[in-house]
Amino acid sequence: MSLIQAILVGCVAALTQLEGDWLGECKFREPVITGFLVGLIMGDVTKGLMIGGALQLMWMGATNIGPTAGLDIGSGGTIGAAVALMTGSDLEVAVAFAIPVAVVVQMMNILKMTAFSGLMHKADAFIDEGKESSVIGIHFLCGVFTFLIYWGFTFVVLYFGEGVINAIVNGIPAWVNSGLSAVAVVLPAMGFALLLNLLWEIKLVPFFAIGFIAAAYLGMDMVGVCALSVAIAAIMYMLKKDGVAQELAPAAADDEWED
Amino acid sequence: MAEKQLPKKEFNSIFWRSFTLLGSFNYERMEGLGFLYAVLPSLKRIYKDDPEGLKEAMHRHMEAFNMTVAPSPFVMGLAVAMEENAKEDKNFDKSLINAVKVSLMGPLSGIGDTFFWGIFRILACSLGASFALQGNVLGPIILLLVFNIPNVLTRYYGLKLGYGQGAGVLESLQKSGKMQLFTFCAGIVGMAAIGCLTAAWIGISSPLAFEISGNTIVIQEYLDQLCPQLLSLAATLGVLSMLRKGVNTTKIMITVIVVAFVLGVFGIIA
Repeated sequence: MSLIQAILVGCVAALTQLEGDWLGECKFREPVITGFLVGLIMGDVTKGLMIGGALQLMWMGATNIGPTAGLDIGSGGTIGAAVALMTGSDLEVAVAFAIPVAVVVQMMNILKMTAFSGLMHKADAFIDEGKESSVIGIHFLCGVFTFLIYWGFTFVVLYFGEGVINAIVNGIPAWVNSGLSAVAVVLPAMGFALLLNLLWEIKLVPFFAIGFIAAAYLGMDMVGVCALSVAIAAIMYMLKKDGVAQELAPAAADDEWED
Repeated sequence: MAEKQLPKKEFNSIFWRSFTLLGSFNYERMEGLGFLYAVLPSLKRIYKDDPEGLKEAMHRHMEAFNMTVAPSPFVMGLAVAMEENAKEDKNFDKSLINAVKVSLMGPLSGIGDTFFWGIFRILACSLGASFALQGNVLGPIILLLVFNIPNVLTRYYGLKLGYGQGAGVLESLQKSGKMQLFTFCAGIVGMAAIGCLTAAWIGISSPLAFEISGNTIVIQEYLDQLCPQLLSLAATLGVLSMLRKGVNTTKIMITVIVVAFVLGVFGIIA
C-alpha cells in the first residue's frame, strides 16, 4: 500500500466516526460506504463494494445505541476491506481483520469518552470566565482528537503493518478460513437478535412471523415485506385509533373510584 | 394562538449545529456540550443584556443530556421557547427547563430508536448491501439517501414543532394514547423487516451428508422440509433468548464467534 493510499484510507476511518460527531450520524460508517471509498482509493471499486456489502450483512444489527456500544464497525469495515484489497484476498480475510479491529477500536473509544469527561469541567470553567468561544473550542477539539485516534490507528496498521498483515494472510490455513466464513454467516443472527431485543414487545411477535414467512416461504424481498407491513400497520392504526381514547377513559374513571 | 417562529437565521444555526450533537460525547455529560453549542445563538439573543443570566443558562444546558440524535432538535426548539418564557416571566421556575428536557429523553429516544435503528437503517443498509454485492455503485448512494432523507426532515420539522408548539403536542399525543399506538405501529414495520432479514440475509446451512446403505442423506434437505432457513431462525432466537435473560452483550458475541468458528471448522455449518 502506498503512502498516499494509507493516508487516504486513514481519513476514511476517521470519517466513519466524525460523521457521528459532526455530520449528524449520516451513516458513512456503514461497510457499504467504507467498502466503496476504500475501493475507490485502492483502485478496485467493484471488489470494494462486494466486500463492503458482505460485511454489511454481517453487521446489519450492530447498532451502537447510546454508550452501550460493542463494536466500532466504521474502523473495522474500513481496515477489513483495505486488507482484503491490499492482499488480493476474499471475504474471510476481511472478516478476520474487521472483527478484532472493531473490538480494539471500540475499547479506545471508551477510553476517549472517559477522557472527554475531564474536558467538560474545563468547559464549565470557561463559561464562568465568559469565554464562549473557548467553550465551543472544546466541543470541536474533541473531534480533532477523534480524527487523530482513528486516522493514526488506521495509518499505522496499514502502512507499517503491511509485512505482518501479509504474513498473517498467507499463513491462514484452510481450516481457519472455513471457521471464519462460518462466523461471517452466523454473526448477522446476533445483529438481528439485538434489533429484535430493541423493538421487543410480545404483541409484536406475530409481525416478526409474518415478515419471516413472507421471505422464507413466499420469497418476498425487503421492499415487498416493508410495503406489506406498512399496510398492516396502517390497518392496525385505523382499527385502534378511535379505541385508544375509549380504552383509556374507563381506566381513568377507575382511578377516581379508588381515590 | 398563532404559532411562534424563530428568526430564520437563528433557526438555521440551531438546525445545522444540531448535527454536531455527538461531537464531544463523554460519559459524564454525554451530549451536554453539543446541546449547549446548538442552542447558544438563541441564548445569546435572549440574554443579550444579562451576562449573568447567560452564564446561568449556559450551565443549565451543559447538564447531562442523551438521546437518539435525529429527534433532538425538537427538544432544542422547546428549550429555547422555555428560556424565552423564563426571561420574560420572573416567576418562571427555571429548574423546569431541565426537568422537561430529561423527561423527553426517554420517550423521544424510544420512538427515535424504533424508527431510525429499527426501520430506516435496516431498510437503507439492506437495500444498499443488495446493490453493493453486485458491485453496483448505487449501493452507497441509496443507503445514504434512504437513511438521511428522514433524518434531515425529522430534524427540520422537529425544531419547528418544538419551538412553535412545544410540549403541548407531545403531551396531548401521550394523553390520548396516540403516541403509544404510533410507536406500536412503527414496531410492526420494524419487526416484519427483521423477520424478512432473518429469512433472507443470514443463510446458515449445513453441509453434513451421510451415506446410509447406498443412499446419501443430506441433512439440509430435511431441515428445509421442516422450515426454510430453520438454522438461521434458530440462531437468531437463541441469541435473543440470551439477551432477554440479560446476558452481557460482549459475552454473547464471544460465544457466538467461538461456537460458529468451531462448527465451521468441523464442517457442521457453513
